[in-house]
Amino acid sequence: MNVTRLKDLLQAAVELELSTIPPYLCALYSLRPGSNDEAAAIIRSVVVEEMLHMVLAANVLTAIGGTPRLTGTDHVPRYPHELPDGVVIDLLPFCPQAVEAFLKVENPQHDHQAMDPEHPLIVGRRPEKHPAGATAVMSRPATIGAFYAEISEALEQAAKELGEPALFCGDPARQVTRQYYYASGGMPDVVTDLASAQAALDEIVDQGEGDPSSMFDADGNLAHYFRFQQLKYNRSYRRSDNAGPPSGPPIGVDFDAVYPMIANPRGADYTDPELRAASDTANRTWSDLLRQLEAGFNGRPEMLLTAVPTMFRLRDQSLVLLANPLPSDGRRHAGPTFEWDGVDGPDPEPDQMKGLQ
Amino acid sequence: MNDDADYDVVIVGAGVNGALSAKRLTRAGLRVLVLEAGPDTAWTFDGYTRHVSHFYANSTKNAESAWPPAANAPQPDTADVRSGDGYFVQQGPNPFASSYTRLLGGSTLHWLGVSLRMLPEDFELRTRYGVGRDWPLGYADLEPYYRQAEREIGVSADVADQAHLGIDFPEGYDYPMRRIPPSYSDRVLAAAIDGMEVALGEEQFALQVRNYPAARNSMPRGDYQPVGAVDERTDGQALARDLGQRCAGNTACTPICPIQAKYNAGKSLAQAENRNLRVIPQAVASRILVDPVSGMVRGVEYQRYEHPGSPRHTVHTATARAYVLAAHAVENAKLLLASGLSGGSGQVGKGLMDHPALYAWGLSPTSVGAFRGPLSTAGIDDLRGGSFRASHAAFRFDIGNDGWRATTGAPDSSVASAVTGHQLFGPRLRTHLEESLPRQVRFSVAVEQLPSAANNVSIDPRYVDPLGNPRPVINYHLDDYTLAGMAAATDVYRQVFRRAGIEDRSDPEEASWMPSVSYDGSVFHYHGMGHFAGTHVMGSSAETSVVDADQRSWEHRNLFVLGSGSFPTMGTSNPTLTMAALTLRTSERLIKELAG
Repeated sequence: MNVTRLKDLLQAAVELELSTIPPYLCALYSLRPGSNDEAAAIIRSVVVEEMLHMVLAANVLTAIGGTPRLTGTDHVPRYPHELPDGVVIDLLPFCPQAVEAFLKVENPQHDHQAMDPEHPLIVGRRPEKHPAGATAVMSRPATIGAFYAEISEALEQAAKELGEPALFCGDPARQVTRQYYYASGGMPDVVTDLASAQAALDEIVDQGEGDPSSMFDADGNLAHYFRFQQLKYNRSYRRSDNAGPPSGPPIGVDFDAVYPMIANPRGADYTDPELRAASDTANRTWSDLLRQLEAGFNGRPEMLLTAVPTMFRLRDQSLVLLANPLPSDGRRHAGPTFEWDGVDGPDPEPDQMKGLQ
Repeated sequence: MNDDADYDVVIVGAGVNGALSAKRLTRAGLRVLVLEAGPDTAWTFDGYTRHVSHFYANSTKNAESAWPPAANAPQPDTADVRSGDGYFVQQGPNPFASSYTRLLGGSTLHWLGVSLRMLPEDFELRTRYGVGRDWPLGYADLEPYYRQAEREIGVSADVADQAHLGIDFPEGYDYPMRRIPPSYSDRVLAAAIDGMEVALGEEQFALQVRNYPAARNSMPRGDYQPVGAVDERTDGQALARDLGQRCAGNTACTPICPIQAKYNAGKSLAQAENRNLRVIPQAVASRILVDPVSGMVRGVEYQRYEHPGSPRHTVHTATARAYVLAAHAVENAKLLLASGLSGGSGQVGKGLMDHPALYAWGLSPTSVGAFRGPLSTAGIDDLRGGSFRASHAAFRFDIGNDGWRATTGAPDSSVASAVTGHQLFGPRLRTHLEESLPRQVRFSVAVEQLPSAANNVSIDPRYVDPLGNPRPVINYHLDDYTLAGMAAATDVYRQVFRRAGIEDRSDPEEASWMPSVSYDGSVFHYHGMGHFAGTHVMGSSAETSVVDADQRSWEHRNLFVLGSGSFPTMGTSNPTLTMAALTLRTSERLIKELAG
């Protein structure tokens, strides 16, 4: 097994996990204040676990001597984003179509009707699709689960060929530990050998689609797919529901109490100069966040502390956009575009660390 | 647990002492009933969120503004101190200016989270300085329980900062989480102040801005897992537990941490062994029933109400092998007195203490970045101990990160006074605010108070609440020992301000109303710290105290009375950590006796 290819696979995994975050954040931030409390809790709980998955994938990559990359046009996800199994994820406000896409992302067996390109939500809003990096590096088109299975096999193969110590040659000090990871949605595993690498990958798959015949992951928490089923049916699960549709009480899903964000917005869509400036600000923050996280994954874990207030800023700046109707449209609102600011460069300025520690 | 279960222990009150007892006792296999006078609205995640919304919507922002009481479990409100017509019947001569919260979670719902240990010398004031009372146990007896308490409630601090004034820690110990990072303000002030010397009596003290131990989640040490929001559900969807596993620097620790990164007693109660626990909210203990021959408690009578707004209720009796009162220093004393259990010592309700506190505020020469981070993260602790305590009270400075919020209502009031007082508007107003608000500095100086029989809680049949239970009648005055401490504290804060170049803007006329007291030509305006203590004092003999060192009633041997009411004195530390340590010690003894 070629270690370079293994690194490519793991880099694609990091990007894959990253690519799920903006769509979830768009749905989360589009909820109008005072509405959809349970929906917000559900989406938030998933998005923090996707963050954890990205950390776990990065730890595995670091453990084999790789350098996780999150910055630059080659690595920052673009939307609409096409996953390896052909599923297209858009940046959408909270709506039934977004929930359907989330269900499909989390469970490939989900009976998913791809959105009609003429659907009013997306008509004219999908100029091109951007394939996930995983599509290029995988040996065959397949689901996310199969993608991780391929990584898992490749790791095992490489460990057999090279021996574990040679494969896991990364500096343990570069692992992201729970000390720095903002411990939501579980704990990052420090990866130093094959067993811990497999445990990290298992956690990613287990929390996501889980075992389709069981609603719960190994920690007894409802798997992502089933959390989203509750949004689709506006009902909570009972333990006795046995992986069928949920039969518990309603959870207050209100698809109307949402800022009607334009699908897959881009900075270029904002002809109004103030809106454009607000969008550029949010994109600089998003790019700063990616620079900080990348530094955090590459030997400067303390940068993950700086990243926390950056996440708050990104939220606040996204809400500014979402609360604004598009002057040219009259009905639909602006939204965060999650575009790379184009500033490729070294690590974040050291003075951003002033004020901490 | 079943309704008709037969309990090992009945606990009155679901605050920090009741919750920690319930956790320890149920985990040891004992069957426990907890009676909570107030509603349990803060114990579900939805309910807690509604309290956050209530706080946001409330025009006042004091310790109570997130926590409206149930009419049947009324509570004191600091807004009533001026009018004197609140829950407390204030008989003076000085108003008692503190409050507490009667909901499941108790006053830990609104506390700031300061978790200082008491000093070794605090336990032996009489022996060392000839004032106050000695405790029947010492720092060394309590030290192991301090460590347990720091883990149970989740305290963030570094031993390197805290090992001073005689406080020692066993080799290799450190707090479960690292200290909350010092604020920018802390660092600016430390640069100006650290090392400056002040004299008190014959002694010289070098001052230092010191991070304080806080019950707010921070970076964990070792295998410690920070405990986030309370979200108890059986369906695998306790999604909110992920919230609050780190302090995010929200500026509302008091009255409500919006993400529950700050400890509240609901967290401990949620960790109890469910199979052995029953919690009945909206159940007001009204009388302790005692066997007249043996003196043993044979039941607790309680009033269960369905609707917090209606006095309709039913009366029940809970029985068990042992009884724990953990209702609050004032409520414990009130319940004992209402049950006719004033004891042979006559000490029930006597010796009420607080930390009356002074505000000092000013403008720093440069920005301290006011209004960011937790309400405070550091203080000046160096004058908590010393031989001056033979003649006047010790005191501790809390250094705010919240500008003049607590004193004048800034920033809103700063805007109002700039507009109406200085006729500023437009860019000049903006420049003025940008230039002045970040320079606002606020100290709060908590002053020690010694026990005195003249300070007490009593009951009077003329004053009752909607359920017919007595309201606390408070007699309170600040004696010369405390007032001389206030004078010394005022002198020190002025020296500190001068040293740091802070322009003193302390002006009671500009501040929210506070009670005042005169001493030696000065007038001090004080506020309460919410640190009630001393109402069922512990001691080494039944003649002079209500409970023994295990917080066990001398006269009713199956009755334990928990909390800061047991404190003979309270030094200058916030009482929660010490009472948590005492409670863990008592629980250990109860378990040995009942489960053994």
